[in-house]
Amino acid sequence: MTGCDTVRERLLAHHEGDLEAEERRAVEAHLATCPRCTREAGLLREALERVQAMPVPDEPPGSWEAFGAAVRRRIAGERPSRPAWWTRVVARLGGFSLLRPVPALAAATALGLLLAFGLTRMPRPARDLPPVEVLAISEDLAIGQNLEMLESLDLLEEMEVLEPLDILQHLDGGRQPRLS
Amino acid sequence: MRQPDFEVVQRVLAGETAAFDVLVRQYQQEIYRLAYRMTRSAEDARDLAQEAFIQAYRSLASFRGQSRFSTWLYRIAMNLCLTHLKSVARRDPAEVDGNLADQRADSLMTLLTNERDRALAEAIEALPPQQKATLTLRVHQGLSHKEIAEVLDCSEGTAKANYFHAVRSLQRKLQAFRDPE
Repeated sequence: MTGCDTVRERLLAHHEGDLEAEERRAVEAHLATCPRCTREAGLLREALERVQAMPVPDEPPGSWEAFGAAVRRRIAGERPSRPAWWTRVVARLGGFSLLRPVPALAAATALGLLLAFGLTRMPRPARDLPPVEVLAISEDLAIGQNLEMLESLDLLEEMEVLEPLDILQHLDGGRQPRLS
Repeated sequence: MRQPDFEVVQRVLAGETAAFDVLVRQYQQEIYRLAYRMTRSAEDARDLAQEAFIQAYRSLASFRGQSRFSTWLYRIAMNLCLTHLKSVARRDPAEVDGNLADQRADSLMTLLTNERDRALAEAIEALPPQQKATLTLRVHQGLSHKEIAEVLDCSEGTAKANYFHAVRSLQRKLQAFRDPE
């Protein structure tokens, strides 16, 4: 740090005790040598103390009883909206006191279990897959294409084998070649 | 020994509607004070506080106990106050500019004899509503920035920034008061 601007930005946090130790020490070291920032800090403290001490006019005696009675009158005959079913179940099981410390964890665990169960048990969505009949035909086609290719490969292999034996010349002569 | 608020809420939801009185007695003055600091009118503050309890009763089932009941109640009350301030500002354009409406400020101003306090009261009145709400929740209700963010439905960073700007405005007001031009 620690120019005046930087320190003034941190005066409120310093006043509220929100600064880390090192930053607090730096602010205090600056305040010890800078009368203008010290004056700023004084103004800030004074402003907050004065605001805190601002009064609220007292209500006349008996007014709070009247207040409560007015609320009772307005809600008479009304019931709060019904809680969700799971809220009632939890309440019957002993209230939220058991679950309150870990509601997010409990919800996350339940959601995780549901997702895990769903992913392993439920069929995959078939949206992008073709119907079964089309699949069968396409499999046949694929096999057929493979066969055709294999046949071509066989022919090529034969040609490779026969080539060294000068098969073409023999074929021209009408005789069967010897393979070995 | 005082029963925890959450258990009182459960009793009300289970049909024991009279138990709501416990919550009203516990928080009526706090909510009234909160509303008063926002509106500077005892009459408006009474009405708003009453309305806050009615709304709280009606939506009690939505209180899940994840935050303090008081924080939840502050949220209802503060929403009502901010809506009220908006409607008042629409009725009286002078208030949009931050000028004091003398009639509303009278009750506080009669209590403030010190000039600096009066100057600060004017400065608070001139703050944007969100800053004023943040200042009130922090200084008078003692809420953390996180709780303020929850009450005002904003981020913690926004709550801190609003508080910073509000306090800075008050500082400037005092400074101008000390160093008149």
